[in-house]
This record gives sequence, structure tokens and C-alpha cells, in this order.
Amino acid sequence: MNDSDKWERMLRQALASPGEPEEKLNQSILNRVEERNSMNHVYRKRLSTGVMVAILTLVMSVTAIAATQFFSSDQVAVQLGEKILAKAFESSDAIEVNKSVDSGDYKFTLHGIVSGAGLKELNESNSTNEIHPERTYAVVSIARQDGRPMPKTSDPEYGEESFFISPLIKGLKPWQVNIASMRGGYSEVVLNGIQYRLIECDYVEMFADRGVYLAVSSGSPFYNSEAFAYNESTGEVTAKSDYDGVSLLMDLPLDKAKADPAKAEAYLKELLKEPESGTKTDPAETELANRIEELKKRLADGKVIPESVKEVTYDKEGRINYEYDGWSVKLSPEMLFAEGQTGFSDSVQFSEADGHYLGLQFHKDEKGVITGMVIDLK
Amino acid sequence: MDIDELTNLINIHGKAVYGFCYRLAGNKEDADDLYQETFLKAIEVIHKMDANQNPKSFLIAIAIRLRKNNRRKFAWRQRIAPTAELNEAVDHASVSEIEATPEDAVLSHELRGLIQAAAERLDDKLKIPLYMHYTAEMSIEEIAQALRIPPGTVKSRLFKARSNMKKLLEVEST
Repeated sequence: MNDSDKWERMLRQALASPGEPEEKLNQSILNRVEERNSMNHVYRKRLSTGVMVAILTLVMSVTAIAATQFFSSDQVAVQLGEKILAKAFESSDAIEVNKSVDSGDYKFTLHGIVSGAGLKELNESNSTNEIHPERTYAVVSIARQDGRPMPKTSDPEYGEESFFISPLIKGLKPWQVNIASMRGGYSEVVLNGIQYRLIECDYVEMFADRGVYLAVSSGSPFYNSEAFAYNESTGEVTAKSDYDGVSLLMDLPLDKAKADPAKAEAYLKELLKEPESGTKTDPAETELANRIEELKKRLADGKVIPESVKEVTYDKEGRINYEYDGWSVKLSPEMLFAEGQTGFSDSVQFSEADGHYLGLQFHKDEKGVITGMVIDLK
Repeated sequence: MDIDELTNLINIHGKAVYGFCYRLAGNKEDADDLYQETFLKAIEVIHKMDANQNPKSFLIAIAIRLRKNNRRKFAWRQRIAPTAELNEAVDHASVSEIEATPEDAVLSHELRGLIQAAAERLDDKLKIPLYMHYTAEMSIEEIAQALRIPPGTVKSRLFKARSNMKKLLEVEST
């Protein structure tokens, strides 16, 4: 056993996990989550019982309306106690859609969309409203295809089947940009056996030029990658037909004239920014960067390992794959080459063993063929 | 995410995440706090999880971020503990023990403490990948994904961590 193996073994032993979490610690996490979940339910139910009286009055006065007839977006907003929003849905700024799509056992209808500032009755002491005063609201209804009524909000079955209903933006990773990350939320009411959901999130019309979808999936209130596929090269999101449950997309008919690419760019920059990673570059990092620069200079005198020269393959998401003798790289080609760039990539990965360095570099020819190669730095 | 999914996540990755939190925090009380906060935060931000990311990398990345934010809270204990531990360990171990350890022998308690203390002294940039690799048993690729750095950089940091520890142990032991 050489010195480096001995070290490796000692480190593995000395730094091995010192123990498992105690059972009561795990239980306390589960309890806290359950507590949070039940608080959400109570809130939703309280919200719904609060408007029940109003619903009853309304149902009695509109009995003439056929049971299958939908409520309009503004009527739903009224039911949820949002009078200002109801007026906004009636205004000429609102987009009336009334488009239905069947998926799984349900029929989903997008009723209408409206955007604006200060449309909520209770402009919560939510600081995000001050940062992003303009919000987008949409009303979507869920009905069972077999005609059975959806459970009332007071029924225990209410919420058992959970739905994710969210705008998604073409060209942006849906797991990063969706209703949850766009400071969104929803309120629900069940009227005549149809469940209506009023969703809200940060202003999506700024993305109108890119194209915006309304996505619906069942099984979880969050984005589910089993229900949708994202193609990194085209930016298209598609509903997966083999998903066992609801999975559908509709195009949101937004006014392209309202797109604001500069605002969208600034918004995304803030939304996708990484938390600060330390205040100053520490000396070890600088030293490492210097060392990498030195190694890069040595590439020119290095010797390409002939067996390592391979054209990369592509996966269905458009990422390149390169594998050779323990090197395994899977990344998007844009990370290596700027648009139109040919020749060698600026980015090089180095590996070191006992003071002997190897570098992995990629080359792109005029036809766009990318080749990976490992260079031995003598 | 429902309770069953969370239970599953804890069952599969709980030990690795806890071990990592323990090494990072340096004591049980802070480790328990960090571990609990990591899972609670994970539930809040699970929608941000990259579809290609594995859950362990996702959880460990959260633990690192939380610890960075709560650094002041954890800092005071760390200032005292490692030095004391290292000195104590040095008193009981000699450099010859490192050289002469038989291949299959289990590390002595003292030597173990010595190595752990040397690791704790490392800068975060080196210490974090070290614990990810040896404590949370993550591969180079998984570490690269969690820290969003190229695999080559992970390899260099691990190399540097090991050589710094070696130097530190040699200095402390002589």
C-alpha cells in the first residue's frame, strides 16, 4: 500500500459519519412539517367557510343558472372576497379566455387573466409586493369528467388530489421559474361542484414575447419533472403523455405588446441569483486560479493521448457527453463555446495524481463537430 | 412533498446529511439544529431542485448555505474546540504512529482525533469538499453538482485539503 492509499484509508476512517440522527430528531422534523401542512389546511378552510355565507346567498339567487354553467373570473373573485380584482377582471385590460382541456379524469378551464398593481383587497404586509407591485392573476376551474361534483372545501376529501397550476415561460427551466419561485399562491372555492382556483404570481406579461404556458399537473402542488419535459436547446416545455395523472399545457394568450425584455431580464437576474458565496476571494481560491492559469500555459507543450480523442455524443436534452478513462463530462455546449466560436474551448478541466497533471479540453470545428481530448502535461 | 416522501428522503439520506452537519458544526447540539433546518428548508425550496440533481447533493448544498448564513451562531464554539482537541490528540499520538499503522488496523482514538482536528482547521473552501467526500460519501461529480464547480476543481481542492492536512499534522506532531 503506497502512501497515498494509506492516507486515503485513514481519512475515510477518521472522517466517516460520526453517527446517525436520533429517531426523536427525525420525528421532530416530520412533526413540524405535519404541523405546517395542517396550518395551511386550516387557513384554506377558514378562508372558504368565511365566504360560505356569501356563496349560499349567491347560489340561492342564481338557481336559474344551469348546474354546468361556469362562473366567470370576476364572479369567482367576488366569491373569494376580492372586489377590486373582480372589477379588474371585468375591465378591458383583462383577457377572457374560457378555453378547456381534458386530462386524466378532469376538465380544466382557463377562464381569464389580468395583471396590475394593487388589485388585492388585503395588500398583505408582504414585502415582496413592494418589490414587485405588479402581479398577474388567473382563474382556472377543475371539474370531473364523469360529472360528479368536486369535494367541497369543508369535505375531508378536499385537497386529497393536489394540483400544480402555474405559468411556465418558454426558454426558462420550469423547475426554476414557476408559480412557487415567482412568489405565487392561490385561493380556492368550490361552486356547484366545480373547483375554482385563483392563482397569482409576479407579473408574467413582461415575458409575453417569449411565450408563456399555463401548466397543470396532478399529484403534487409543486413542479413535477415526471409530468413535463423541458428541451434545453429549444426551450420548449411539453407535457409527458406517459405520466400517470394530469399533465397539460395551454398557451397563455398574452398581449405581445406588453412584453418588456429589459424588465424581464432584470427580474430573472434577481430571481435566479445565487446566494452570496462569501465576501472576499480567499487566498486559497486565488492560488488555485493562478495554478490553473499556469497549467493552461503548459497545455501547448503537452501531449494529446490519442485514444482519448473522441467526438462527443449528445443526449436528448442537447447536452454533450464525453467519457474516457474515468473522465465523465455531461454539460451544455454553451458552457464551452460562445455562439459562432470555433477552435479550442477556454475552459479546461485538470486532474492530478502524484504531481502528474492531465487536462481535458474540447475542440469545435467549422462544421460544429465537438471533439474532446485528454492532454498529458509532461 | 408529502410526509411519506419526506420520510423516504430522511431514511435514504439522513445519515449522510447528519454526518456532514456534525462535521461542519463540530458539536451535537449545532449539528442537530443544522440537520433539522436543512430538511425544513428543503421542503420549502424543493421546487428549485434541478430535475437532474440528485437529492443528496441538493440537501448537502442547503446545509452548506444554511451554515454560511448562521455562521456567527456556530463560530464561538469552533474557536475553542478544535485547538484543544488537536493539542490533546498530539499529546497522545506521535508521528511514528501515522507511519507505522498496519494496513488493516483500525485507527487509534488519538490518531482519529488528530486527523479530525486537522480537517477542522482547514479553510472552508477545502474543508467542505473534504467532508462531502469522506463523510457524506459523495462522488466528485456529486460534489461538483452541489457546489456548482467543475469536477476538476473539486479534485484540486481535495488534493490541496489532503496535502494541507499532512503538513499540519507533521508540524503539530514534531
